Amino acid sequence: MTEVYVIGIGMTEFGKHPDRTAADLGAEAVRGAIHDAGIDPRAIETAYAGHVFQPMVTGQQVLAQVGLAGIPLANVENACSSGSTAIRGSFIDLLAGVADVSLAFGTEHLTGAFKGAFTPGEDDPEAAVGATMPAVYAMRARRYMEEFGLTREQLARISVKNKRNAALNPLAHFKKDVTIDDVLMAKPIAEPFGLLDCSPVSDGAAAVVLATGDWVRRHGEQSRAIRLRASALRTGKVETAPSSMTFEELTRDTANDAYEAAGVGPEDIDFAEVHDCFTIAEVLRIEGLGLWEQGTYPAAVERGEADLGGRLPVNPSGGLLGKGHPLAATGVAQVVELVKQLRGDAGSRQIDGARVGIAHCRGGKAAGVEGAACTVQILTT
Amino acid sequence: MTTAVSFRPRDLVVNEDGTGHLVGSRCPTCGAHYFPTRQVCAGCLTEDLETIPLPTTGTLYTYTVVHRSTPAFETPYVLGYVDLPGPVRVMGQIDAEPDDVEIGMTVELEIVPWGTDEEGTPLLGYRFAPGGER
Ligand SMILES: [Zn+2]
Repeated sequence: MTEVYVIGIGMTEFGKHPDRTAADLGAEAVRGAIHDAGIDPRAIETAYAGHVFQPMVTGQQVLAQVGLAGIPLANVENACSSGSTAIRGSFIDLLAGVADVSLAFGTEHLTGAFKGAFTPGEDDPEAAVGATMPAVYAMRARRYMEEFGLTREQLARISVKNKRNAALNPLAHFKKDVTIDDVLMAKPIAEPFGLLDCSPVSDGAAAVVLATGDWVRRHGEQSRAIRLRASALRTGKVETAPSSMTFEELTRDTANDAYEAAGVGPEDIDFAEVHDCFTIAEVLRIEGLGLWEQGTYPAAVERGEADLGGRLPVNPSGGLLGKGHPLAATGVAQVVELVKQLRGDAGSRQIDGARVGIAHCRGGKAAGVEGAACTVQILTT
Repeated sequence: MTTAVSFRPRDLVVNEDGTGHLVGSRCPTCGAHYFPTRQVCAGCLTEDLETIPLPTTGTLYTYTVVHRSTPAFETPYVLGYVDLPGPVRVMGQIDAEPDDVEIGMTVELEIVPWGTDEEGTPLLGYRFAPGGER
């Protein structure tokens, strides 16, 4: 079985970049990843580019910027899972023997493309009656409150935790701590959410270079290489009957694919980067991944178990709530954080003894479907 | 005067008397219901799904009060998921004050004005209002 390693990571600062483009940001991240890998760029044989609201063939524009035009590249759109799906493209190329070295990146100039609340696709029947993404998650939060006694303050603590981590991440969109009161007093978006329960509209890009174990050994790049054990992808099923909105079967099923491929279980995970597009989303992801029992994660956050230094740190990078959420860049940036932690290069937010990390991304919404695209990746030292 | 028409004829039928219903699919093999309509049953892969009128009274599964939306919608508004007999879950705005809304309440489909199309033809959409017989 071919082993796959992440040998290079690159990422721009996330935030508002009014004078830049997706291609320009993407090129910065790709150059960073190539320099980090310390390889001759001509070793890269294939590439995958994730982007959602950007011009067509943005991926080729990035390659043209960095001198790599000519190699096979596919542009990938899977909503917020676009970047992580791009990584899966590279992963499969290596497993299939199509390439020894492959590049995956995600880039998004979101402030230039978009303002206000996200909605499902324009033609969706739910968008037609006023669905927004915050509203959909707010409804799940309301139901979770009803079933499990989740409090408004417990939700707020997730935002406080992730923004505290972001304040330790020089590339994060938010660089300041917030208090529970700040979260509770923020302007309302979709009840119970205020502005600080929602991930911000950010620009940014992230990139990774993957290589096979054989290539890594031949080129003596082992010391900083981090093993990518699994890269699972699923689409949400059409519901044959209304299902619980307080437990994510899609996350569970995708995670089970990843656990099986990686030969690890939830009990082996040391830390997690999950798709916290909204505060409740972190709860649903973590419980879907099997890292905490359904209904128990909010109280665990209250006890500090998911803090840096806690039993199982969640979103050490700051997550989407703190680091920012340039859609397609998000899934790649999660893997960038996993690699930094597993290399022991995460600076003031380093998790002691991190050996197994999991990254979860989930994107998109359509009426009658549990969620559009979900990815789970597992990395180990 | 131009006659008002359904904002999404595939999803919502409006009768001449102002009543109406949502349009779903029913699987004749396993009984699963779908909204919006599907071509093939996700449960048993039966291809000959029936297009049926969905029941108009259901139970509110969850809701939110939306304060920030797209320019097409005036805020605030209450938005909810309603479980209709079938069972099948549909999203709709709830025609009630936020303080009067609670999970588990019975709601009934109502046909309401929904702006105009590009040619100025008045459109009809739907909301759910508290009440109705289950
Ligand atoms: Zn069926």
